[in-house]
Amino acid sequence: MTHRFGFLWRTILLATAFSSTVYAAESAAPEIPLSLRISPQEYHKTIADVFGSDIVITGRFEPEKREEGLMAVGARSANISADGIELYDNLARGIAAQVVEPQRRKTLFKCAPRDVATRDDACTRSFLASAGRFLFRRPLTEQELTARVRRAGDVAEKKGDFYAGISAVLSEMLLAPQFLYRIRKVEPDTANPGQNRLDSYSRASMLSSYLWGSAPDDKLLKAAESGELLTAEGLWLQVDRMLSSPNVEGGVRAFFSDMFGFDEFETLSKDATFFPRFTPKVVEQAREQTLRTIVEHVVGERRDYRDLFTTPNTYLTRPLAAIYNVPIVDKADNAQPDRWIRYTYPENDPRAGILSQISFVALHSPAGRTSPTLRGKALREYIMCQAVPAPPGNVDFKLVQDSSNPNLRTARDRLSAHATEAMCTGCHKITDPMGLALETFDSGGGYRTSENDAPINTTGEHRGIKFDGPVGLAKVVRDDPAITTCVAKRSFAFAAGRSPTANDPAWQQIEKQFKDSGYNVIELMRRVATSEMIYAIPAQTASAQPVK
Amino acid sequence: MRYQKLAAAALTLTAGVTFATQASAETRGYVISWFATATNAADFKANCPEDRNKGRIEWTIRDLIAVGYTKEQATEIVATAVDSVTLPPEIQNKMDTRAVVAGKPASVYNYPEAVADPNIETVTGKYAYGFDLGGANRANKFEDPDTHQLIDNQLWRAVGCTESFRAVPPVMPYPEELAWNTMVDSAPGWAIQITGNDLSKDGKVTITLNRTTQHPERDSNGAVMTNVSYIIDDSPRSHNVLQGEIKNGVLSITPAFVRLQGEMPYYSEIAIRDTQMRIKFEGENLVGYWGGYINWIDYVYMYTARPANGSDSIGLYHALKKMADAKPDPKTGQNQEISATFRMEAVPAYLTKLDGTVVAAPGPGGGRAINTSAR
Repeated sequence: MTHRFGFLWRTILLATAFSSTVYAAESAAPEIPLSLRISPQEYHKTIADVFGSDIVITGRFEPEKREEGLMAVGARSANISADGIELYDNLARGIAAQVVEPQRRKTLFKCAPRDVATRDDACTRSFLASAGRFLFRRPLTEQELTARVRRAGDVAEKKGDFYAGISAVLSEMLLAPQFLYRIRKVEPDTANPGQNRLDSYSRASMLSSYLWGSAPDDKLLKAAESGELLTAEGLWLQVDRMLSSPNVEGGVRAFFSDMFGFDEFETLSKDATFFPRFTPKVVEQAREQTLRTIVEHVVGERRDYRDLFTTPNTYLTRPLAAIYNVPIVDKADNAQPDRWIRYTYPENDPRAGILSQISFVALHSPAGRTSPTLRGKALREYIMCQAVPAPPGNVDFKLVQDSSNPNLRTARDRLSAHATEAMCTGCHKITDPMGLALETFDSGGGYRTSENDAPINTTGEHRGIKFDGPVGLAKVVRDDPAITTCVAKRSFAFAAGRSPTANDPAWQQIEKQFKDSGYNVIELMRRVATSEMIYAIPAQTASAQPVK
Repeated sequence: MRYQKLAAAALTLTAGVTFATQASAETRGYVISWFATATNAADFKANCPEDRNKGRIEWTIRDLIAVGYTKEQATEIVATAVDSVTLPPEIQNKMDTRAVVAGKPASVYNYPEAVADPNIETVTGKYAYGFDLGGANRANKFEDPDTHQLIDNQLWRAVGCTESFRAVPPVMPYPEELAWNTMVDSAPGWAIQITGNDLSKDGKVTITLNRTTQHPERDSNGAVMTNVSYIIDDSPRSHNVLQGEIKNGVLSITPAFVRLQGEMPYYSEIAIRDTQMRIKFEGENLVGYWGGYINWIDYVYMYTARPANGSDSIGLYHALKKMADAKPDPKTGQNQEISATFRMEAVPAYLTKLDGTVVAAPGPGGGRAINTSAR
């Protein structure tokens, strides 16, 4: 194993050094690096798009890290550890083995080897050139292709199996930085002598990642090859095409999963004693529920982003409906997978809007109790892009965490007692009023009216507006300009790998266009994707030297 | 709170779900979450003073002796078997096919009648759960520990001294637990609707039993999840409408035939003649007993369908046959039915028709139930 890694990464480093225009994550301009590690979601989506959705990807990924509110920004400084290489290698081997399975060969290979027991360089070249173009998001260079064809042939001869050679090389390609990172390449800007610009293929991979959450398709790569993406008109054409494609759902899912911190689902669990309905299936479905709600709202109906917080529409399965305590009719045959049923709550139902969903109220609660503070903090940070300071190191949480204290029966009681400590008051003022409005939702997402037999008070105030309960909170949040500024800023950062500069006129123009569109997220994506801002080369990099 | 009053009147939700509850009545829905032979095994010594049935090891030795091994040989075979259970195939086969039918060896599970009665010990204790079904033989009567009435429950008399039925709820008797856990994730569930003017008070009610089209959904603890939606199977085969009454918080019914289609290897069907019920509302759940006369042969199928299920199949067969106390066969005089009682539990559920009409909801007033937990 070590030998394989050593060989591979030596190869990778050599390949990187040969390329005079490839910048690694640890580039000379660390504040705006040029390479971003692809997310697990993009990895999955890319493999599905290139080799088929029936390819099973099992195994873990290197952990992601959040910067400026997004994993997509953290990706610019995401390295791969020694353990991580092993994880990716396991994934790669599993995928490569499936790709060459007999039942897939007819679909995935345009040619058949003359003799399956040995090398066939022409057929290997055909396959690797085609698959490699999608995996590396650009055509392989002749040097890259020749080396890989030779290696596949050598393995095929040694093992007496043409497909073993393909599998070996394909797994190495899936472990290559050209696949695991979206590498942005700069080239001289012919329109502005002395300046550099992102090349066409880098633009293509940015676009496909942003709009589809995947690798570029054939048309986008052709547009890159022709130079079309370097022109404003060509860029608009491709962006329009991509936003009209059903694949845009992938981009919207990837973006909101990142913005709303859905990576926290990986560790979400509840105390089964108190929340027996909170099964592993519910965890999986809760995330999907919100994503379906968003996709329908944003992509299907192109509705105002702000209305996501008050929309009565959602999708439910039977286990989710049990937690939300509503009836649904799933006509699927017995023992078939749960179906998603569209559901509309009555007017002024506390369950309307995405803040009442498990993906918010349960995701931001400890395993056995609620935390208005955590919910308020999540609302501030994920949805309003506002920073909430971390608690001081010496803070005593005992009062807040002891939900069995007979004198402090509700979370409001406990937080009020806790907030009398001067060092805590400030932050709790930011988080708690909004979090307390959601106290009618328990840690498992169920509805309740009392805690320890004491009635729950859900009143609060935000921006001078008084509200009561989830319905009131949802309306106040919906009308807070912070949420639209936030989603625009995050959308840009998701595309660019960095946050926009607030006083940049181009950015202000995007914000205005978003507003003028009625806060249509697809229009926001169109404006961001066609803005030269996201393709801009930072000053240091414009004349920077490649990493040696 | 609107939640509590949600379905007091007919409402239409845009999810294609229609509440059908009448304004003057409420209907609560449940799905059965536990169903098994009603045991009363807390005082085993009082039930079975001889304690001669013992467990699997003992009846395996007994059966080995029945096919020609000496007691010492049989003890040695069991002692060297894996987990004292898995015998060498040739020996197991010899035991399993020791029935003789038309001069040929046959399965003892298919032909238990062709095997000698091992005459297992049956319950001689005073207490068992059940109902007075009108059994004439006073010597057969037990006293119900809850109602202190004299009751008929010969099923318990037959099986109660067997190790696999030595279970105290929430533990099910082993054969039923095994079958339940095998089937619950795939076999359609059984639904209960209770309709009355105000189920929090005494009064007349109607109980409707149906099969559902979906199997019970399990929760994180392996129990049946509450408040899940089920579609009622409109097949008349499992449709039962019963008249009942709530008195002092206990629901009972006018005796009636109850039939619910089941799945092997659990009960192929629940078919109880002259069924009586005694059901309590415990928290949001139902807990209680159903008693009446069942076909004892059907009951035998429940555990002989899986020979290695930990039951003394042969001993129980003969005990049930002897204890059967109703519906004598006109030709042979052998009773075909046995008085029996089953313990059941049910959890709240939404029950709908295929067209989306909600016929029963979990909460009071036919509305959504509310979690009042401290969390």
